[in-house]
Amino acid sequence: MKKLSVSLLAMTVAGSAYAADMGAVDEPIKLAINEWTGQHVTTHVAGEMLKAAGYNVEFVTAGMMNQFQAIADGDITATLEIWSSNVSDEYAKKIEEGTVVEIGDLGLDAKEGIAYPAHVAELCPGLPAWEALKDCAQVFATAETLPGGRLVDYPADWGTPGADRMVGLELPFKAVPAGSEGALIAELRASTERKSPLLITFWQPHWAMSAYDVQFVDLPVGEEACFNDPAWGPNPNAVNDCDFSPSRIFKASWSGMEDKWPAAFEILSNFELAVEDQQPMMGAIDVDGGQVEEVVAAWMAENEDKWRPVVDAATQ
Amino acid sequence: MTAVTDIPAQSDLRLTVGAKAALITVVVGALCLALESVAPWLVKWPAAWELPATQWVGAFLDWFLNGIKPAMRLFSDLMAYPMNWANFLLGSTPWPILIGLVTALGWYLGGLPMAALGFFGLCFVLASGYWAESMNTLALVAVSVPVALTVGGTIGILANEVPRVKSFVQAVLDIMQTVPTFAYLTPLLLLFGFGPVVGLIASAIYAAPPMARNVMLGLERVEPEIKEAAIMSGGTRFQQLFQVEIPAAATQIMVGVNQCLMAALSMVIIAAVIGGFNDIGWEVLLTMRKAQFGESLMAGLVIVVFAVVIDRMSGTLATERKQYDRRVVWAVLGFTALFTAAFWAWLPNPSELTLLDPVAEAVDSGLTAFTQANGPWLDALKNNSLFYVLLPLRIGLDQAVLPFTWGFQWTSGMSYGLFAFGGAVAGLMAWRGQLTAGLVILTLIGMLETGISNLPWPFVLTAVGALSYVAGGWRLAALSVGLLCTILVSGLWERALLSLYLSGAAVFTCAVVGGLIGLASAVWSPVWKVVRPICDMLQTIPLFVFLIPVLMVFQIGEFSAFLAICAYAIVPMIRYTRHGLVNTPDEMMEAAISSGATEWQIMRDVRAPYAAPTILLGLNQTILYAFAMLVIAALIGTTGLGQSIYLALGQADVGLGISAGAAMAILALIADRIVQGFAEEQRKALGL
Repeated sequence: MKKLSVSLLAMTVAGSAYAADMGAVDEPIKLAINEWTGQHVTTHVAGEMLKAAGYNVEFVTAGMMNQFQAIADGDITATLEIWSSNVSDEYAKKIEEGTVVEIGDLGLDAKEGIAYPAHVAELCPGLPAWEALKDCAQVFATAETLPGGRLVDYPADWGTPGADRMVGLELPFKAVPAGSEGALIAELRASTERKSPLLITFWQPHWAMSAYDVQFVDLPVGEEACFNDPAWGPNPNAVNDCDFSPSRIFKASWSGMEDKWPAAFEILSNFELAVEDQQPMMGAIDVDGGQVEEVVAAWMAENEDKWRPVVDAATQ
Repeated sequence: MTAVTDIPAQSDLRLTVGAKAALITVVVGALCLALESVAPWLVKWPAAWELPATQWVGAFLDWFLNGIKPAMRLFSDLMAYPMNWANFLLGSTPWPILIGLVTALGWYLGGLPMAALGFFGLCFVLASGYWAESMNTLALVAVSVPVALTVGGTIGILANEVPRVKSFVQAVLDIMQTVPTFAYLTPLLLLFGFGPVVGLIASAIYAAPPMARNVMLGLERVEPEIKEAAIMSGGTRFQQLFQVEIPAAATQIMVGVNQCLMAALSMVIIAAVIGGFNDIGWEVLLTMRKAQFGESLMAGLVIVVFAVVIDRMSGTLATERKQYDRRVVWAVLGFTALFTAAFWAWLPNPSELTLLDPVAEAVDSGLTAFTQANGPWLDALKNNSLFYVLLPLRIGLDQAVLPFTWGFQWTSGMSYGLFAFGGAVAGLMAWRGQLTAGLVILTLIGMLETGISNLPWPFVLTAVGALSYVAGGWRLAALSVGLLCTILVSGLWERALLSLYLSGAAVFTCAVVGGLIGLASAVWSPVWKVVRPICDMLQTIPLFVFLIPVLMVFQIGEFSAFLAICAYAIVPMIRYTRHGLVNTPDEMMEAAISSGATEWQIMRDVRAPYAAPTILLGLNQTILYAFAMLVIAALIGTTGLGQSIYLALGQADVGLGISAGAAMAILALIADRIVQGFAEEQRKALGL
């Protein structure tokens, strides 16, 4: 897997390699720091690459949902980990205005799905096969969802993918929106500690996947046809009777960046990070209590072959 | 809401205002119930009748905001200067100097206790490892408070000078305090650009009203003799105001300053949602996202420590002060300077201190142990509250009573039986001369059968109109009904009813439980010693912090939201109840004691009636707090207006955010005006 990511990286570099102007080296490039650790890792790696190229980098905390106005105004130069499953409408508006531009995929291989902490398999034998959920819905039932089982879905503003699956597969579950990521984690934690049943919509890479030993339910593979053609899949009468469509993780920048810092723009456009690289760094921070800066610095020192070519291609 | 109608009917023949209003409400309610099956539009406002108000609001605001954007951006750029200065000043001052300064200030203001409070408070902040973030937070407060004080002071003086605008100003202040901040964050971002200035403006908007109110109150209360003396001495109006009246009102204005500081501090977490600033609120959000209760509690406590230090120190400004020995101030400052100079090379970097980490871990594992040990009965508590209280309130007995909740199925026969029972009670009470109370009970039984979220809209309009009429006459009734109609046509009605149900249930619980705690605190002072710091903490700690343990114990859902709202909204009820009961005038107490009344008789017949207006004011604040908390409760997954506001923030939908915020403010305003109407009546009855 590691080899693959390196060769991928090399390919993208080879595809668009030309040395660009450095541009406004004295003015700081501002990178958005959002609310989750994976994003901190991604952003700090990119920031260190820009510094290695000779740029002045500033990290600015910004709410994931509210950052796009700032990027459109040039107050923030770029944001490096946008999840297609969880992006505000404002992003589309700004892209349309032309004030924000997308600068390619991050290369993180993400997966979303219906998940459960490992101990739940004992409460509902037959998991991870999705058919098992038909018969043990009452195990997951609570006061609010009786007689159906309870599925903890994403916060309402991220969409309702969990609820769509339950309807598509005709599973007797009622989806309850979580309200926030903290609420999702609290549910996972409470369930693991109390050994209580829990079915939840979740994603990886996420530190909680290993911390709470989260497993995905096996659903029919999410092909394009599943979302358009009711006849496709186990339920002949509905769409969405399959797994999540793979979500895309990409980067975006202020539209003026290309002119102001051409080389930096090229570095960020070609920058990629693999799950195998990001996940251990996340663990070192969230589980072992390391500082982002130190963890990233250690990774940069050990893996120079992974990022140096991108920097060199843009600057030499 | 209806529970406040307590005007005794004098006779059966001549109906009182209250009885008439109640009668109309019952008739409309009965009609709606009867016609429910033939005319479904009575229960659910048809989507076809909705106006696309949220889009209109959005379009108008977009146009308006873009118009004033350049001027606002300029202001934003200007504000960035003091912000950066404050940041630089606080960020680069070595920590021993700052601790020394605060300790010296504490001594100057309040002697040894204040000095100790300042010293140990800041030492806690230092030990927590959040020193740098805290300084960023302080910088934000340090700039937003002067802005809020200036704006609030100007508004207050203006309202005092031009009495015609007073009622308008009152309304504006109410709006500033009731529209949830989340609702106007999106437009603020658009106007002021990204960064800490948005947080600064948001906290100034929220913190200005208490200042304005206290300035108005203070200027109003200046003795007429003093004013006359100023006029007779021949000063201009300007001189009268600034040299006589404002100094005379200084104590009350200082209360405003204190409240303004507290309000600004409570907003730091909201400012953090936007980001742009590595402050303590951002830390709380990060730890909250990982559901690390211990750590987020520590970060939250840092905010509490600031709040307590600032509150107590600025509180001394509002009271008569003793002079403390100035030499101590100089001694403390001198020692600080020497200490810093001597140990300069060995001073630890405050960001690397982790003295409180073990505490955070202990709290976290304590929470785990608690949920593991107490799971079953906590689940039972939650299920029982949901089955027997919250669900019936929301969807009514006719839908909530099911075989697997109550053990049997609700039938329409039972509904008739319940109504017959209600009718019998009403009849009996009418016969005994309490027609109004009887009708109110009948109405409440009807509401319980139907459920608040299923109430027919004509009934809600009539009931609120009737209640407003009793509380404040035709004008209030027209205002309430008019405002409610705007919610109805804007398509937010269903969500508004859900919000009404959740906050209504919370307000009722807070009123009962908070009232009892307030009573206990008033009667027995040791209780107050314990309750007071808890109240302080509940009011200033970012409420996000409490969401984690509530979620861990009770999971996502309405019960958790209900508890979170109660935790916040109960505080004013406790405070005002105690305050009202404790502050009975001495003459009244003496008269009661000399007439040989027992302790409980005094409480019931002297203190309680005298305290009633204050307690009603507390209830009013509880209502406003409950609505304010609805938005935060949306983070645990509720479905009412709070969720809409949160959605709008995520999607940068200015129209939806402002409309939902306005709907929430409307509900809060109506409840507020009705309660104030009854408080006014009570005050008149007491001859105050």
